[in-house]
Amino acid sequence: MAVLLDNVTYSYNINDTHRVDAVKNLSLHIEEGTFVALVGHNGSGKSTLAKLLNGLLLPTAGTVKIFGNSTLDGEKIFDIRKDVGMVFQNPDNQMIASIVEDDIAFGPENLGIERKEIIRRVEWALDKVGMLEYRKRTPFKMSGGQKQRLAIAGVLAIMPKILVLDESTAMLDPQGRSEVLKVAHELNKQERITVIHITHFMEEALDADRLIVLNDGKIAFDGAPKEVFAHYEELKKIKLAVPWETQLAISLQKAGMDLGEGIVKEEDLVDKLCQLL
Amino acid sequence: MRDITFGQYYPVKSFIHGIDARVKIIMTLLFMISVFFIVSYTTFVFMFLALTIIIAISRVPYKIVLKSIKGILFLLIFTAIINIFFTSSGNVVIPIKLGKLVINITDQGINFAIKMALRFTLLVLGSSILTLTTTPTELTDALEFLLKPLTYIKIPVHDLAIIMSIALRFIPGLMEETDKIMMAQKARGANIDSGNFFKKIKAMLPVLIPLFVSAFRRADELADALDARCYNASSKRTKMKVFRIQATDIVALLSFILLTVFIFLDKYLVGSLFSAPDLGGLEVQGLDVCIYNLFRCITG
Repeated sequence: MAVLLDNVTYSYNINDTHRVDAVKNLSLHIEEGTFVALVGHNGSGKSTLAKLLNGLLLPTAGTVKIFGNSTLDGEKIFDIRKDVGMVFQNPDNQMIASIVEDDIAFGPENLGIERKEIIRRVEWALDKVGMLEYRKRTPFKMSGGQKQRLAIAGVLAIMPKILVLDESTAMLDPQGRSEVLKVAHELNKQERITVIHITHFMEEALDADRLIVLNDGKIAFDGAPKEVFAHYEELKKIKLAVPWETQLAISLQKAGMDLGEGIVKEEDLVDKLCQLL
Repeated sequence: MRDITFGQYYPVKSFIHGIDARVKIIMTLLFMISVFFIVSYTTFVFMFLALTIIIAISRVPYKIVLKSIKGILFLLIFTAIINIFFTSSGNVVIPIKLGKLVINITDQGINFAIKMALRFTLLVLGSSILTLTTTPTELTDALEFLLKPLTYIKIPVHDLAIIMSIALRFIPGLMEETDKIMMAQKARGANIDSGNFFKKIKAMLPVLIPLFVSAFRRADELADALDARCYNASSKRTKMKVFRIQATDIVALLSFILLTVFIFLDKYLVGSLFSAPDLGGLEVQGLDVCIYNLFRCITG
């Protein structure tokens, strides 16, 4: 089991007397090799959950286990961080060095890996995100999508088994978002890296194996995207919009059109509609 | 958008650019120390010549190197004036009387002021050659290497190097952000560019506060990113880039040591061989005396 959360609660201190639970009694299992989309509106606890995964935050109650290692175990914390690579929202605030390859090398250097292996990993990681030709450049003046792909490469060089994208697409333009998602899916398929993609864009969950909807620190829905999208009316209540094509498909079906089960993508919908005509 | 090339690194390929950054730092330090031991005008001329040649080899345009002096021109003139007016030893050249106040400008004062100005110029030129030909990353790495002995007295050299490289890395971003905030405040009617000095400073406040807030937020996120990438995971940190001293580095260093030896010889040996002639106001020392004597021999 890649990720195992057992009854996890995390509460922030607002002041001396006031505490707010960002994550409440949450239990969750994630199998190795799955692509999980974690969706929730602002304040649903999704970023807190992300930081619980690599021990940046420690649970107030319950345990978080990554491949059997608990984040509460101080001796295992670096093993966990080696397993869980995390990419954050703002690509500008994740880079340490002014030259691309120096930045990518930062992670493996921290782990004390041998020099030749570092060079191999830097090349591999840059190649994986399609940025190999930029290795001697400076990230300044690159597009958001490129910078975020570099941030992913920086994490990949540590060779994580789990990649957590903590709202990594939130600040990007549509093109940058699709670049980052493409890289994440490739890594999931080719390298069998478990991906946990945290976002508030529902449409980014379309290609995920599993969609978890978080609301108010709890899991509201959990299942294949198709199954979850079927609850679009309840999702609306927790301020989440199902992609319009999915909603259209479901509405048409309700109106008596026979579209068959599980239409989520635009292409599928167009195909089905054309068949019916 | 302002020019944001920090450390003004000038990216061309040259012999000077190729010298190991550690060697360059040592050479610059050596140069800076030896500049204070220059006594004769001849050596000054010699040093300026040497710098001119070094700049030519570095393929950095003279115009760009000279720009660095522009920044300290005020300081240069100011110290020169102070030196002229406040040196009282030596023969009085121009006596100034302002009521009861008597300021005597002496030959020693003038000589001292000129030499000090020349030293300053050499210092600035020398250090700007270092920053013009070395990338910030190379500089930080080299400093980290050179300061490594300090880890034995528990100074966190590696952390300091990381701090420095992060600072260098964030300067362009923060500059860009300052510009953005300034434009945003201007769009809302803030008057930033006009008024006197104090008004301008006061007008900067609505720019500085958001800038600080954002800098702290960035620092917070960066700290998480450092942790997420296993910062401090191992006490045996490795380096992807290793320094390798090459023959050319040794040649460069040796020629620099020769230069330093030359300056020290000039100060401590050459001058004492001959007695200094009286040349009115001009104070001659070291090699100057030799050249003066040579000149006298030739002209009889």
